[in-house]
Amino acid sequence: MSKRKQRFLRALGRSSEAVLRGMEAAAERPARLGYFIDLMRSVYVEDCLPQLPEEPAGRPGVVGLYCVMAPEELVYAAGALPLRLCGGSYEASCAGDELAPRDACPVVKASLGSTVLGAPSLYALCDMVVVPTTCDAKRKMAEELSRHQNVRVLEVPHVKESEGARRQWLEQLYGFKSDLERLTGNRIGRRGLAQAIALLGRARHQARRLYELRQGDLPAVRGSEAALALHAFAYDRAESWCEAMTLLNDEIAQRQADGRSAFDRRAPRIMLAGAPPVFPNWKLPLLIEEMGGMLVTDESCIGDRYLYDPVGAVENTMEDMMVALASRYLMPCTCPSFAPNEDRLFRLRQAVADFRIEGVLYHVLKGCVIYDFELLRVEALMAELGVPVLRIETDYNPEDIEQLRTRVEAFVEMIREKKRKGVGR
Amino acid sequence: MPVSRWRWLVLTLSFVLLTFGGLAGVHLGSYLPTFACYFVGSDTYGGACFLATLQMALAEGNLAGLFAALTILVVAVLLIIPLGGAWCGWICPFAFIQDVLDVLRRKLGIGYVRFPETLRRNLRPLRWIFLVILFVLPLWAAFPLLVPAVARHLGIPFCELCPVRYIMPLFTERAGYMGVSFGSITTFVLSALGVLFAGFTLVGAFFKRRFWCAYCPMVLLLSFFRRISLPKLKKDVTRCTRCEICYNVCPMDIEQVFLERQREDVTFPDCVLCMECVEHCPENDALRLTYGGITLLRSSRAAFSRRRGIDASQTGPREESHE
Repeated sequence: MSKRKQRFLRALGRSSEAVLRGMEAAAERPARLGYFIDLMRSVYVEDCLPQLPEEPAGRPGVVGLYCVMAPEELVYAAGALPLRLCGGSYEASCAGDELAPRDACPVVKASLGSTVLGAPSLYALCDMVVVPTTCDAKRKMAEELSRHQNVRVLEVPHVKESEGARRQWLEQLYGFKSDLERLTGNRIGRRGLAQAIALLGRARHQARRLYELRQGDLPAVRGSEAALALHAFAYDRAESWCEAMTLLNDEIAQRQADGRSAFDRRAPRIMLAGAPPVFPNWKLPLLIEEMGGMLVTDESCIGDRYLYDPVGAVENTMEDMMVALASRYLMPCTCPSFAPNEDRLFRLRQAVADFRIEGVLYHVLKGCVIYDFELLRVEALMAELGVPVLRIETDYNPEDIEQLRTRVEAFVEMIREKKRKGVGR
Repeated sequence: MPVSRWRWLVLTLSFVLLTFGGLAGVHLGSYLPTFACYFVGSDTYGGACFLATLQMALAEGNLAGLFAALTILVVAVLLIIPLGGAWCGWICPFAFIQDVLDVLRRKLGIGYVRFPETLRRNLRPLRWIFLVILFVLPLWAAFPLLVPAVARHLGIPFCELCPVRYIMPLFTERAGYMGVSFGSITTFVLSALGVLFAGFTLVGAFFKRRFWCAYCPMVLLLSFFRRISLPKLKKDVTRCTRCEICYNVCPMDIEQVFLERQREDVTFPDCVLCMECVEHCPENDALRLTYGGITLLRSSRAAFSRRRGIDASQTGPREESHE
């Protein structure tokens, strides 16, 4: 192992451990969250994947995925293990600085950095890496990655409504299916695919349960904790994740019934909108909670949006299952790489109602033009709904934390003040 | 019990009742706005399609006939209003046949065919043509001012073309009504086309869900009254995530329900109220069935999961069957 890689892993381990330890020490933390903290620790601190045992017959195929458009059902049905690769570490983004233009977003820089270093080792394990063509940065990243890995570009249409685009997307998925079959040597049959759909259906059902539990007046789980548990799906087998999530949900439901919560009832209900916080960049979620905000939901593609939508296959035919997958992985997705993206505004409007949101913290990752572009529309919507918005532009660098703390504190305080006046009137 | 089971129950009972009810003394009249074929035979059927009697009345060519036609229409409309599209989704005996073929296809593991939008659009006028044939040709037969040789043998022209007329009598072995008729050139052409349509329809309904319904003039007639019909499909446009499931499960390939971003009423002209979309919609209250303003059925994630064998309070993974 090169010196550089060792140094990188040590630094990554240190910063990840700091986040995890802080979360472990939090008061009123659900005990069942321990499973997810341990999983993240093994991936980011100990650099091993607990879900990938060395089998005598050779390890199963590993398929790395970027974004949320590649159907994991197909990967499971082919007998391979899907891993989500979008990077969130500051150390990796520094390693990627020289591989991407200065204005590229840190997700892309971190992913490139980790790939080139081959660390954490999950990046080096992948037999195939799937990159959907979402934003420009991800597309160009795919090109750069292909110098180091076996990259499969999945062409995602940017206009969802047109029939031609949807048909082309379905064809892409059929192509992806045969590529997976070629990679693993396993044929994806009706039975296997139906089982994979059912497996992920159970996992998504638990994710949805968590989503609905958190709509309660006093959630028994912090937003940063829920996001971590959802995030862990990226490195886990769906079965084990589903089991752990079921237990966590049961515990949260019990705690809520008992009236136990880490939050103060008067804490402002905050939504973290915009670009996804990717572990270990847990800066904003932790900051909101530290400053007394009740982080109730986010719209992150590796958080609340990751496992929200279900696959609606009704027939046991390959055609129907493929159509259902194509719909699930394209249509309800509200990634700003789609245009028009009115769907996102409808989803935000519903989230404000469901979670009784009192403030939106709009996260812009430096270089993520598309989330920033939609800020105006989101601000207009939130003005209509009477919800204040705070835009925060940052990257993975921890240096600006003090400055962010002041701004988040002022924002939370402003909502709290508004609330107090509202109650007094 | 999920609503689809109820629908199958009603549809099956209705098929038996309307096709064989006569044998048990059931007679619901021949004014029904649904494809319970008249040619099954009045001693056998429990009720019949009003289109046959309407054409016969029109073809009489006198005031009494026109008055009879008007009466038939009024009765049919009065029957349409309380049930709307449900006549097609829940009652039509020919829908039962098509749905049985559809189940057969699923059991054989063969996927369905979905026509591209352009083809669907191009085939749309077909039901208007059938509607014109239905109302105009009988009048031509009654008043054969032009080409009387053709007009005289028109009989009840839409029925001669209707595939149902060649398929439903198979259940009662009224062989005389089934094949191509060689009585005259007119009847030959009409019945030959009808037999051809019947063949297409049987094969089509196996591969494409509700194949015939896309061309059925009854669906069109019912859609004229959809605003005043009591059952309605409603959508909460904010709760909808546009996941496209309702389109995928729709046997009529109605795309507008998931695309709609403004209106609450999404009872689109082709809707047969089969409720597949409400049953499979994963969002709470995004889709609802209302009857005269009262909600009878609402979509929910819990029902969506239950339908897929996922128990809401389940702990740990569990084996399940996938339909």
